[in-house]
Parts: sequence; C-alpha cells; structure tokens
Amino acid sequence: MLSQYIISQVVNGLCQGFIYALIALGFAVIVGIVGLATFTHGEIIMIGAYASYYIFLACGHNLILGLLASFSASWIVGIIIYKLCYERFLEAPEHISLICTIGFSMLLKNLAQIVFGAEKKPMLNVIENQIYKFGPVEISKVQFVIMGTVIVLSTTMMIIFNKTKWGIALRSVSQNREAAALVGINVKQTSMIGNCIGCAMAGVAGMLIGIYYQSISPTMGATLSMKAFSAATLGGLTSVPLSSLGGVVLGLIENLGISISTASFRDVFSFGFLIIMLIFKPTGFVKRKGARP
Amino acid sequence: MKKNFVKKVTAVLLAGTMVASLVACGSTSESGNSATETTAVVDGTSKGTIKLGLVAPLTGVHAEYGQGFQAATKIAADEINAAGGANGYQLEIEVKDSAADPKTSADIVTQFCEDKDIKAIIGDFTSSACMADAPIVDQYQTVLLSPTASNPDYAPMSEYCFSVMYNQSNMAPWVGKSVIGKYMGVKSVAVMYLNTDWGISTNEYLLKGLEEAGVEVLADETYEENETDFSSVIAKLKASNAEAVCILDQGNVPTIINQIKSSGWNPLLVTQGPGASQQLLNLCGENAEDLIITDSSYITEDNPATKDFYQKFYAINQCAPTDHSLCAYNTVQMLAKAIVSIGDGEVTRESIKDALKTTSYDGMAGTVQFDENGGGVRQFLILGVEDGKYVVKEDYGFE
Amino acid sequence: MMDKLKGFYVKNKIPVWVVLMVLLVTMPLYVSAGNMRIVCRIMLYIILAGGLNVISGYCGQLCFGIAGFYCVGSYVQAILMKTYNVSYWLALLPSGIVAALIGAVVALPALRMKGIFLGMITIGFSELMRLIALNWTPVTGGAMGFKGIMAPTFFGIKMGGASKYYYIFLFVVIAYMFCTNRVIKSRVGRAWMSIREDELAARSLGVDAKKYKILNFMYGSFWAGIAGAIFVAYSTYVDSTYFTLDEGFNVLGMLIIGGQGTLVGPIVGSFVAQVLTESLRFINVWRYVVYAALIILMMWVRPQGLIGASGSILAGSKAGKKKTKKAEKIVKSEGKEA
Repeated sequence: MLSQYIISQVVNGLCQGFIYALIALGFAVIVGIVGLATFTHGEIIMIGAYASYYIFLACGHNLILGLLASFSASWIVGIIIYKLCYERFLEAPEHISLICTIGFSMLLKNLAQIVFGAEKKPMLNVIENQIYKFGPVEISKVQFVIMGTVIVLSTTMMIIFNKTKWGIALRSVSQNREAAALVGINVKQTSMIGNCIGCAMAGVAGMLIGIYYQSISPTMGATLSMKAFSAATLGGLTSVPLSSLGGVVLGLIENLGISISTASFRDVFSFGFLIIMLIFKPTGFVKRKGARP
Repeated sequence: MKKNFVKKVTAVLLAGTMVASLVACGSTSESGNSATETTAVVDGTSKGTIKLGLVAPLTGVHAEYGQGFQAATKIAADEINAAGGANGYQLEIEVKDSAADPKTSADIVTQFCEDKDIKAIIGDFTSSACMADAPIVDQYQTVLLSPTASNPDYAPMSEYCFSVMYNQSNMAPWVGKSVIGKYMGVKSVAVMYLNTDWGISTNEYLLKGLEEAGVEVLADETYEENETDFSSVIAKLKASNAEAVCILDQGNVPTIINQIKSSGWNPLLVTQGPGASQQLLNLCGENAEDLIITDSSYITEDNPATKDFYQKFYAINQCAPTDHSLCAYNTVQMLAKAIVSIGDGEVTRESIKDALKTTSYDGMAGTVQFDENGGGVRQFLILGVEDGKYVVKEDYGFE
Repeated sequence: MMDKLKGFYVKNKIPVWVVLMVLLVTMPLYVSAGNMRIVCRIMLYIILAGGLNVISGYCGQLCFGIAGFYCVGSYVQAILMKTYNVSYWLALLPSGIVAALIGAVVALPALRMKGIFLGMITIGFSELMRLIALNWTPVTGGAMGFKGIMAPTFFGIKMGGASKYYYIFLFVVIAYMFCTNRVIKSRVGRAWMSIREDELAARSLGVDAKKYKILNFMYGSFWAGIAGAIFVAYSTYVDSTYFTLDEGFNVLGMLIIGGQGTLVGPIVGSFVAQVLTESLRFINVWRYVVYAALIILMMWVRPQGLIGASGSILAGSKAGKKKTKKAEKIVKSEGKEA
C-alpha cells in the first residue's frame, strides 16, 4: 500500500511538474529571446485559461478549439506586453522593464476581476474521468492529456528552434543581439515573436491548469509567476530544455516534500528550491558562455 | 529638447493630479467618497434615517465575498425600508472597501466611528481585519457586527464585537459527534482542513467531537488557503483507507471534491464550511452527488425559503449567493430587530449594543442569536445532495 | 520647477523648517481622528519606503522582499512584548537589529547577483519569513496571530489611538531622515551610489562592494524592522497575512511613483499613494487599475519617480547599451553601398 501511495505521489508530482515545465518553458523563451524578465507570466496563464473557458462555453468541450483560443489570446496579450513593457526599454537598465511588467500584472489582474467577475468559474469535466492502470501505476485521463499536450508542444518548440529558419533566428537573437543584427536579422520583430511564443505557451498552460483543477479565477496566476522563475533557474533562465526539466523537478520536489510533511509546506519547498538554486547555481546548469544573465 | 519639455509637462501634470486629489480628498472628508446604499422610501410616517457602515473587501482576493456583502445588505435594507423601516426608521448603509487589508479596515472603521451619524458597523470579512478593528470599536463604543469572523478570539475582545458566523466550539463538535458519528455511522474518517485560524480551530473542535463518538481519525492533513493542487493531500487520505473524508474549508471545497472524484476514489464525503450554495453545485456538477453538508440553510432557487433572496442577489451580482452573503443579510435583519426592541427609547450606539446582545432573529435560515461573548449561535441542518439538488436529511436540532 | 523650489528652500532654510515643525507637531489639533489614521499610515509607509529606498534607490539593489524584514521586526517586537514581557521601548532596538541581521543573511547570497536574480532571492526570503510566521505556531501564534499588544505609556500618557501614537511615528520618521541624511552624505553613502551607477568601475577604484552591499541591506532592513516594531503596538494585532508579497510590491509602487534615490522620494511616494487611494474610492474597483496604469506611465515618462534622482542610472541612462543600434546602422549602410 505504501508503494502505491508513493507511486501516486510521483505521478501527481510528474503531472504538476509537466504543467510547471510548460510555464517555465514559456518563461525561458521570453527571457532568452527578449533578454528581459517578466513578472506577468502568471496573468497570461490566467488569460489563456479564461479564453479557453469562454470557448468551451460557446462551442462545447472541444480541446483543439480551446488550445487555439488560449494560444491566440495570449499571443495577442504578448504583443501588448511587448509594445508596452519591452520595446521601449530594450536598451535601458533592466529594472525599468521589470517594474513595467509588475504594473501590467497588477493591471491585468484587476481588469480581469472587473470584466470576468471576481468569483471562481467552473471548468467541469472537459475531459471525462477515467483511470488507466499500468501495473501498479494509475494515471487519470486528464493527467494523460496534460502530459501528452506538454510533450507535443515542447517537441514542436524544439523542432522549430533547431530546424526552421525562424527558430534559428530566434536562437541567434537569444545568444547575441549585436551579432544577430549584424547578419541582418530584424532583432525587434524577432524579439516580439519570441515574447509571443513564450506567452502563448503560458496561455496553453492556463487552459491545462483550468482543466486539471476544474476551476479558474482572476487571481489564479499569482503564485505561478514565481514557480515559473524557480523552475527556469535550473536552466539559467534561458535554456528551454533545462527549464522544462526544472519544472518537472520542481513538481516532484513539491509533491514528494508534501508527502513526507504537510501540504501547508508546499511553498516552503518551492521557495527553498529557488533559494538553494540561486545560492549554489545562479546561472543554472547551462555550460555555454555568453548566455544572457 | 522636446523630450525634456514633454517630460516636464507630464511631471507637472502628475504633480497637479496629486494636488487635485488632495483637495478633493480634503473637501469631501469622512462621509464622502463612498457609495450610499438603498433608496429610502419617502414616507410621511418615517421617523428619520439610521445610518449603518459596511466595511468589506470589494476588491482584492476576497472581492467575491465583499461584493456579496454589499448586495446582501442592500437587499435586506431595501426589504426593511419597503415594509416601513425598523420601528419606523429608514436604514441607510454606507459602504467602504477594505480590500481585506486589516490596516485599511481599521482606518475605515475609525472613519465610521468618527461619523456621529453611523450607529453601528457591519463587517469585515476576514477575522484578521475584524481583530484589528476590535480595539477601535471598543474605544469608540460602537457595535462591530461581522457576518463571517470566525476566529474564536474575536468576539470576546470587546462587548461591542459581534459575529454571526458560527462559533466553532458549538458547531464543530456537533459535526464530529452527531453528523459523522451518529448520522453517517462511519467508524473511521480522514480529515483535511484549511491552515487558517478558522480551519485550525474548527479541526480542533471536530476532533473532540469525533473522539466522543468513538470515530477513528486515520488522517488529519492541512494545506494553505491558496492551494490549487490537492492531489498530494488526497493521495495521503486515500492511503489511510478511511471510510469517509471530512473537508473543512470554504472556497476550495468544490475544487477538492472534483479532484477527489477525478483521482478515481469514491469515499463518503462530508464537508463543513462552504455553505450549501448553488455555487457549490455549479462548480461540482455531478461530483457533488451524495455529499453530506451541514449549514443553517441551503441557498438555491428551489428552496422556497431562500428563493426570493437568491433571485434578488442574482439580479444584482450576476452570480449565486453563498452562506457568507446570507450571514450579511442576517446582520441587517438583526440590527433592525435590535432597533425595534429599543422601542420608544433613543437609538444610540450604546442602546443598539445592549439590544443586540439579547436579539434573536428567526429568518430563512433558522434562528440566530448571540452567546455571552457576542459570537453567533445558529441552528443547523444536515443536507444531502441528490440529483443535483439539496435535500434536507435531518432538521434543526438533530443530536 | 524643481530648481525654483530648491532655490527657495536654500535661501529660507530656517523659516521653512520652523513652519514645517510647527505644522507637524500640532497636526492632531487640526486634523480629525479619522484622517489622523491616514496620516499615521502615510508615516508608516514613509519609513518602509525609506528603508527600501536605501536598498533599491541609493544602492541599486532590486528588492521586492521588504515585507519580510517588516515581518521580522513586527514579530520580534510582539514576541518580546507578549511572551517575554519586555517593555515596548526596550524591545524596539532589538527588533530592528534582528531585522538587520536577517538583512545581512539575505545580502550574502545576493552579493553575486544582479537584477531579477537579486529580486527573486529577496522574494524567496520574504516568503520564507511569512511562512515561518504562519507555521511556527508555538512561537508566532501561527494562523491565529498575536493580539493584545498594547501601546506604551510615555511619561504617564498612554499613547494609544492615532492622535497620540502619531508622535511615535513622527519621531521615528524624523530619526530616519536625520540618520539617513548623514549616512548618505558620508563615505558609505557615496560608496553605495557608486555601486549603483557602475559596480565594476567602483570596484576598480577600490570600493569594497561586498562590504557595502551587506551594510546597505542591513541598514534598509533595520528601518523596515523598526517600522514593523512600532506598527504592532499601533494595530494591537498582527498576523502573517499582513506581510504578503503584495505588501512588498505596494511599498515598491510608492517608491516608484514618489522617487528613488532621494531623501524626499519616499515621502512624496507614500503621500501620493495614500491620497490617491482615498480620493479614488468613488471609482471603486477601478482604483487598482488606475494605480497600475500610473506605475507603467511612470516608467515610460519618468522612471526615477516624481522626485527621484534624475541623472542617475535610475532615470534610465542609455550609456553603453547602444551596440545593437550601431550594428543595425552598419548593416543598413553596407546594404546601401552594395
């Protein structure tokens, strides 16, 4: 029975970890390509969740539509954020754009409360309750779909970044802005696209979170910005694969930590992880030099 | 050069806004800047108006409940005024937003107390805010009647502190002994509770009741208020093999129920705290079937007792009312009843306080009165959920 | 406009100060008790924003976690007063000192970091402090908090209530302004500002950046701790919900609006923020939207704040970041030639 318990905690941790991975992935893309950090990632997750909520309300529980809705809604918000918080401050000291994103996060959160209403909204049974058993391991259909979506999205990102022209342009901007400009890449536009991709990832994560926890609220994004950052520190904030790994690790650490103590210590574990990572390996496990700080 | 000019102009404009706000703030002083509630019925026999203050979180993380207070108190005051007022006095409610920040709440309560026209204050939502307000109302000798403060330390802080929401020392042991032990008849239970003053004290009293009934507590887990993923806690409870799960929480209960069901586990579920509201049924859907819930009433459209309130509330806030709003509704009714019982005497802050102590109100949710500390004592039903509706399983007074 | 004000002040220093002092000391006489609470809140935030200003404004260390030090100061004061029956006045300094020590602890890992990393570690510690306060029930009361912390008596006068407690706030604000003014003008202050502008250059000139950064954190957190300590007896009740990250961002917002890197900045920021909150009540839920928009506007138009240190890096100096533009120019010109 004990092993069953541990296995289920591991599965829970993995599923949560996959969600964190998607969020951290988006975060790493933004920090890497734009070169500036964001405090408003949690609110974009919330926007994605609400976008999919309204689509489900209008068109039934169609996952593909939900994905498209959350993707596009957060892409658009990404454009707004870029214009408002980043474009003007690309050359300025980084604290200015950071504070701009803090202001934007406050704006979005309160606007959402006004427009959507402050109460929790249900996202019931978008995916039916079904449990699959693989030997001693039990995974629910929801968890399956979430992990599957995250894997598909991350792999797509990997392919885009490594094989397509656009992706290589994005990576080169991430590595060295001046050099990228010198070889003729439109740095400004590329940065914006990078930002939008990162936001879109967060938006899809929002939809998945809504489906998993079966409810959404305007303040749901609050702690998720921190989790994104914590997870991304594993990859020095900029490495996409390592940040995703960081997300999975964070999810596992939190859940296993809770299983040996109490759930009210969840934040202790995630902040503990963050502090330890920042103290011992602030640049993450990234080996290459010249990565953005 | 032009940029510098633009910057200077903007700086001057901002400074100007600052000064203008200062002037605006100063000139409108205490009773301005806020929404005044209720349309007073113009009636020749009206004795005048009694003003009440409402301090609640209209913004911030508890905005849902604060806005609920606002709507519910308005409904109550409108009903009372339309029926001729409380002993002939029209009720007027002034609302200010505390954002559930105890400091802001204390400042607003001070402002209310300074306004001689305000005879009693309703609010705040969180126990933290109420406890920060307590020394102030004690100093100014004004009643502070909270719909929902449930920290057992709050009401004893001052004879002017009252709270409608049940004192855990009454309700929780009853839930343990009579609901779980006797009515449900289970031998073992796993408990999960919210890590706040409400949750901790409720859990303490619940365990006492369970012990008395001889029910074994196989797990007793706590978690933070802003928790969203309960899978780890649920896994722990599942591993304990208890027959039933008791959830002590308010806003998270629907999420917890959903996550328990989607983990493939089907224990008997009993909950105390969220209140039997339509919102819970909406958020849980069929996951709420066979749930046992204790409350002083259930607030849905099909309950003839609460239907009217439900519809009026929905018309204002576009969402279903919760138990918290019902408690807010009750506060106005109880104050009105207290005013009525003063009779021909003068309605002052002191006389309201004295009258409130002995007020007992019989409304759509059983009888409400106060114990010697000012903590609310309510009656409770045992409710079940069948076919997506609430069903009364046991009436008030089940032992 | 700034220069004119400055000029006036310099010429008429003594009368300005006398008038100011008289106005401040007699304030409870002409301001109502309800508004005195707002004044006390402004004073509290002046001290908090002031502490943050020293860390972030004068030394350029991004700090989002000021609530953590505020929390430590409050709880130490509460514990000393209620559990150990120490008198209010004796407990003040230890509270500040413990907060300063925590500040040193936070500064240590932060030495190697800049920008968002530094900000994040301050967030981590701030939350850790709050979680300890929430969960360490035997010492901090856990979720139940601390109640019944009484205001002190000063030569027989009980200082409870906003009108009287105001004087304690006033005293601490004046003490803060006086001390900070001296510190800023000394070697320490100059070292801090040089670290803010260009740490590498400062180091090459022999400034021991590590030592000064730690000192900086300690100084800022000391005042945040003192603010917390005097706050508990004013409120008589405290629990961990007072010290969330939102509170830290709240203080930062005031500093951004009022101005970083100057002594007057926190005063202006606290004042404007509270006045805005009170006067914008009529638009209810839109209040915070306006506040947020104001922060963004500030960053666009005047990043150093209303009365901030213009001409410092806080104002967004563009030196040394023009390489990308140069590269773009080269590409364009080469394209034309070809």
